[in-house]
Amino acid sequence: MALYGMSPQAINDKLPLSEPVLLILVSLATEPQHGYAILKDVERMSGGRVVLSTGTLYGALRRLLDDAWIERYEDEDTSRGKQAYRLTTQGRRNLQLEIDRLKQLTRLASLRVAVKER
Amino acid sequence: MLSLYRKLLRLYPAEHRELFGEEMIAVLVQEREEHASRKRTARARLALREIAGLASGALQEHVRVRFQFRDGLSLYDGRFTMRNGFRFPKSTAVLMTIILAGVIIAIRKGEVIATTLPPFSQPVTPIHPAHSYLLPGVIEGILFFYAAGLAGWAIVFALRRSGVHRLADMSDQRQ
Repeated sequence: MALYGMSPQAINDKLPLSEPVLLILVSLATEPQHGYAILKDVERMSGGRVVLSTGTLYGALRRLLDDAWIERYEDEDTSRGKQAYRLTTQGRRNLQLEIDRLKQLTRLASLRVAVKER
Repeated sequence: MLSLYRKLLRLYPAEHRELFGEEMIAVLVQEREEHASRKRTARARLALREIAGLASGALQEHVRVRFQFRDGLSLYDGRFTMRNGFRFPKSTAVLMTIILAGVIIAIRKGEVIATTLPPFSQPVTPIHPAHSYLLPGVIEGILFFYAAGLAGWAIVFALRRSGVHRLADMSDQRQ
């Protein structure tokens, strides 16, 4: 049975994402970013609730690179020891799947809560 | 502090250090510079967070490399990555049903024995310690269950259904 409009296998393999990984991907959705910029962006987007350590960030980046969700991106800062990363097509597609899943979930939850309140 | 970070980075597998070592140091330097003008408590929090992050990150990378887990102790879903099927195989339901049936039969037998006993038993004579009889039985029981468990695991391993094989299959599928 398809759940959230996707096959169960797809959900099982990729989703749900943890909040830090979701925020990292969202941070890279608009433009390529360096490690430090991702760190700060994640903190800002979560209102200071998610503060990643460098070890956690690079662990996540490593896995996202291995799974080809993100890729290294060469820019003028790269030569100065700052490596930028950007979303791949697959990464963007998977991020969109997660967003769709969350939308479906929040819509369902809102409906249920509304029904209960009546 | 930076020298401590560098030492902690040595805990990572060499490949990870080669790929990300300098980048990680650059980020740590930027973090430290940003916190330089802040209160001592904020700087201490940063140091603790980074030390804990580097130590746990190194552990996760070693787990990933050592056991070929592509997600390590995964961040994707914030928990140790195990598939539902792996955690609770269908065969478990069958085994649990068999165990439940065994328990029910044992209860029924107990009830039958209780109803067949005469209402008043003979006076009970003093009971002497029976350790010498019990102990060999307990040891035999433990050995029996140990051997049975070992045999069961050997069968599962021979059928390539052990945890090691399942993890290897998962790894292959993801590749």
